[in-house]
Amino acid sequence: MNADMQGWGVWLALSAACFGTYICRAAGVKLSGHIHQDSEVFRWLSAVTYAMVAALTVRMILLPLGLLASVPLSLRVLICALSVAVMVSSPQRRLVPALLTGTLLMLAYGVYSASP
Amino acid sequence: MGAPVLVLFAGMVGFGAMGRTQGFDAWMTGLTSLLMFALPGQVVMLEMFISGSSLLAIGFAVTLTSTRFVTMVVTLFPQLHRRDRNPLLYLWVHMLAMTAWAVSMREFPRMRAQHRLNYFIGLALPCWLISPLGTVLGYYVAGWVPTPVTLALVFINPLFFLLTFTDVKPWGNRLAIGLGCLLGPLFFMLDADSSLLLTGLVGGTAAYLIDRRWLRPRPVEVQA
Repeated sequence: MNADMQGWGVWLALSAACFGTYICRAAGVKLSGHIHQDSEVFRWLSAVTYAMVAALTVRMILLPLGLLASVPLSLRVLICALSVAVMVSSPQRRLVPALLTGTLLMLAYGVYSASP
Repeated sequence: MGAPVLVLFAGMVGFGAMGRTQGFDAWMTGLTSLLMFALPGQVVMLEMFISGSSLLAIGFAVTLTSTRFVTMVVTLFPQLHRRDRNPLLYLWVHMLAMTAWAVSMREFPRMRAQHRLNYFIGLALPCWLISPLGTVLGYYVAGWVPTPVTLALVFINPLFFLLTFTDVKPWGNRLAIGLGCLLGPLFFMLDADSSLLLTGLVGGTAAYLIDRRWLRPRPVEVQA
């Protein structure tokens, strides 16, 4: 983190992000009734978005910045694998149990590593 | 709808904790939830800002993550009564998020068109309002709870994104996720600043083309 961060840069980034997000929402209102959701451009945009969010997710798990970096890589991966296993263990997708599994395991590791 | 709202709230609390541990300002962290109200975009912005990406790259990447709103609005709003399809929708659309969208898509067909907007507002407005509260709560909680709890909180969002990937159905998007996972770290090592955008464009476009060329069921061709 640099000194700039609490300055203008972060507010400019926030403004750009808010603007970009709202533009997309407004475009949806403008276009609703005129275009079909299955058009090719939506399929492409949705693939680009998924690839980007997947890259972000992997980066946050494998190469985290900040507190998560204090957890060994193998443990981060193991906890993710266990949570995904809970999630896919039912065709209805157990999102809440899976989220709890991951966060509680992370909590347990934190408690364990803090104790002497 | 209890569970989805709870998950949304937990995500916002987790985002607040992330903002705290990464040294962001409390106002700034809370305002992103109020003004953007799109967790993937918020996390993209935060992560790219910390890793020192340029403003332009941040703006582009966040806008790309938000393009899903176009699809969401285009599928949801035409179901509203004609009377309600006026410029006020530009206000209500800000409260749209995955939770309210999914529940409305499920419930709208069961109710009369003139009741749908009120139903949507009743659902989306509270979701929107609790989000900055959750974020600020997470921000301050992360300051005084023991480190293990904060660790669990900052882990919520990456884990949540990872889990939702298992629920993605179209093969093109599944392939995009796979390529994103592989190319992401690679591009990150080449150039951290543009890596998210580049991964999205390269991985997403490749997945789209492969899907279109080989995976998608071919439309039946009619012989002239």
